[in-house]
Amino acid sequence: MLTSNSAYFYPLLGKHTTEAEMKWLDSIPKDNPNALMTAFVKAPRFLSKTIIQEELKDQNLIPNLPGFQVNNWNLVRLSRVWFLSFLVTLSKNELIEKIETLFDTAELNELVALFSSLSILPYPQVWLPRATDAVRSNMGFVFDAIALHNPFPYHEFPELAWNQLVLKTIFNEKPIQMIYGLSQRKNQNLAISLISFVKERWSAGRDVPPEIWQLMVPYLSEGELYLVETLFKSRREEDVIAASLICSQSELKSFQLLLTKHPKFQEEIQNGKWDWSKLGNNH
Amino acid sequence: MCEKQSDLKTNPSHFENPKKTTDTPTHMDLKWDEYKDKIQGFKFFDPHIHMVSRTTDDYQNMAQAGIVAVIEPAFWVGQPRTGLSSFKDYYSSLVGWERFRSSQFGIKHYCTMGLNSREANNERLAEEVMEILPLYVYKEGVVGIGEIGFDDQTELEEKYYRLQLELAKEAKLPVQIHTPHRDKKRGTERSMSIAIEHGLDPSWVIVDHNNEETVKSVLDQGFYAAFTIYPFTKMGNKRMVSIVEQYGAERIMINSSADWGISDPLAIPKTAALMVSRGIPNDVIRKVTYENAIEAFAKSGQIQVSDFELSIPSDPNEKFHGNSVLRGGQLPKWNQNSLYID
Ligand SMILES: [Zn+2]
Repeated sequence: MLTSNSAYFYPLLGKHTTEAEMKWLDSIPKDNPNALMTAFVKAPRFLSKTIIQEELKDQNLIPNLPGFQVNNWNLVRLSRVWFLSFLVTLSKNELIEKIETLFDTAELNELVALFSSLSILPYPQVWLPRATDAVRSNMGFVFDAIALHNPFPYHEFPELAWNQLVLKTIFNEKPIQMIYGLSQRKNQNLAISLISFVKERWSAGRDVPPEIWQLMVPYLSEGELYLVETLFKSRREEDVIAASLICSQSELKSFQLLLTKHPKFQEEIQNGKWDWSKLGNNH
Repeated sequence: MCEKQSDLKTNPSHFENPKKTTDTPTHMDLKWDEYKDKIQGFKFFDPHIHMVSRTTDDYQNMAQAGIVAVIEPAFWVGQPRTGLSSFKDYYSSLVGWERFRSSQFGIKHYCTMGLNSREANNERLAEEVMEILPLYVYKEGVVGIGEIGFDDQTELEEKYYRLQLELAKEAKLPVQIHTPHRDKKRGTERSMSIAIEHGLDPSWVIVDHNNEETVKSVLDQGFYAAFTIYPFTKMGNKRMVSIVEQYGAERIMINSSADWGISDPLAIPKTAALMVSRGIPNDVIRKVTYENAIEAFAKSGQIQVSDFELSIPSDPNEKFHGNSVLRGGQLPKWNQNSLYID
């Protein structure tokens, strides 16, 4: 039998609920799947939407599940995921049936909670098609729930789906820094797509977010040197910093040589003033 | 399968058949630039509009005209549904995609859930729908059971109307009643007496699509009376002004019922502007275009006025939760009057 992660949620719930809210949470029979499902749906009728904000931003709620974080969730979302955490003790078939029913009838915020819960549910391969489908969602909140601060894609997505997730985050102008495991899952195919994305954008007279270059660095060849030269000529300082970071991390001589023409940034990078995390809209 | 050939022939909007009327147009020919000053500072709540049939241009114009929140009743989609899945997808869209779409324009979207009277006549399907309906009525932002009631006033319509009144009682939700186009007066009376027979408190029931013939009885019995301002029908906004002059503002609300027919999502702001120019006091206008609808549907416990009453985030690029995640996946275009599309 699988053990539930529910205990990790409990102190946090206690901290962010009123007495009446906690009383309602406690009143739901946790061994009754139908009661849990109804509570999942009804939660907004009993709980406020208090935003969960914890001091330690990067602390993992569940020690053996890095990247699963609940910061900036509201109380309803947290409680819903907590309710779902009790379902893991069901048989595989039962669990699948319950979760599928919730998905099939879900409204917007329920979908967000369901996608947030995927990494605490067993049988990840069962949820994979839904998760990759969520990346196709045009509902921003649903997309965010799977793509940002969620360890499920990092662990489960095949390369093609992973790359789609990253590309769509960039297309939607959302911060890629919030994708869990971003730099560990860099790959050549993603870099190729991004290089053509840069070319398309530049042809259309548009910019690209400077932080995306970190995904291309190891895969840039001599043939792409001209792209970095163009980047150095940008009117935006963040592009010039990105170009400098690319050159400082590249193993190619020509790239390293290019950086020596920009001693100011070369020095600042050496002094630790700039790294990828300081670029882009990650404030 | 289509159950009624007549539906196909006339294909009316759900509110009224436009062909029958010879009335003069109901809206004054005022351009937005001319009437916007009249309604400066007003906020509007449209308690009956079918946004699934409307475009983003409509959303943009509605937000610009001061509409801050809407209720989308579940209804017929213009042609009969052939299976349960179509109902499921439709209900899900009311609490999912449409709600999201609306949020991109800073308009709070609520809905009422129900099996409409037309499709209550397909008994096999109606039975299946009644089984899944409870899954939806408890959802966040579902502010009532609706729109339900009579269309042809058949026995099956009555059967499912009664079952849904019971569901409303159980879920502690208000009821939004669609009154029929044909034989309206009798249909309205019948809807009300059945609601009372089932023990519903009339102040939890909104009787919709009223006219001069039905309004008195609806108000006298303690129900809410909603009026649909719909072009080319018998209820235009000039006569709406007269009704408000005669009956006051208590328990009266205006809606657009805009849908896939020739209808006007700006019916409320336009009627408000007309009321202003006819000298109706501002507090009366506020009641019939905003407050009364909130008062009636907030009984569901699902309306947080602070969600739309505070300064409305009209900027779709606004950040949420303090991080830089954009509110939406799409970026609405802004200047419709510009030749350039960037
Ligand atoms: Zn309607």
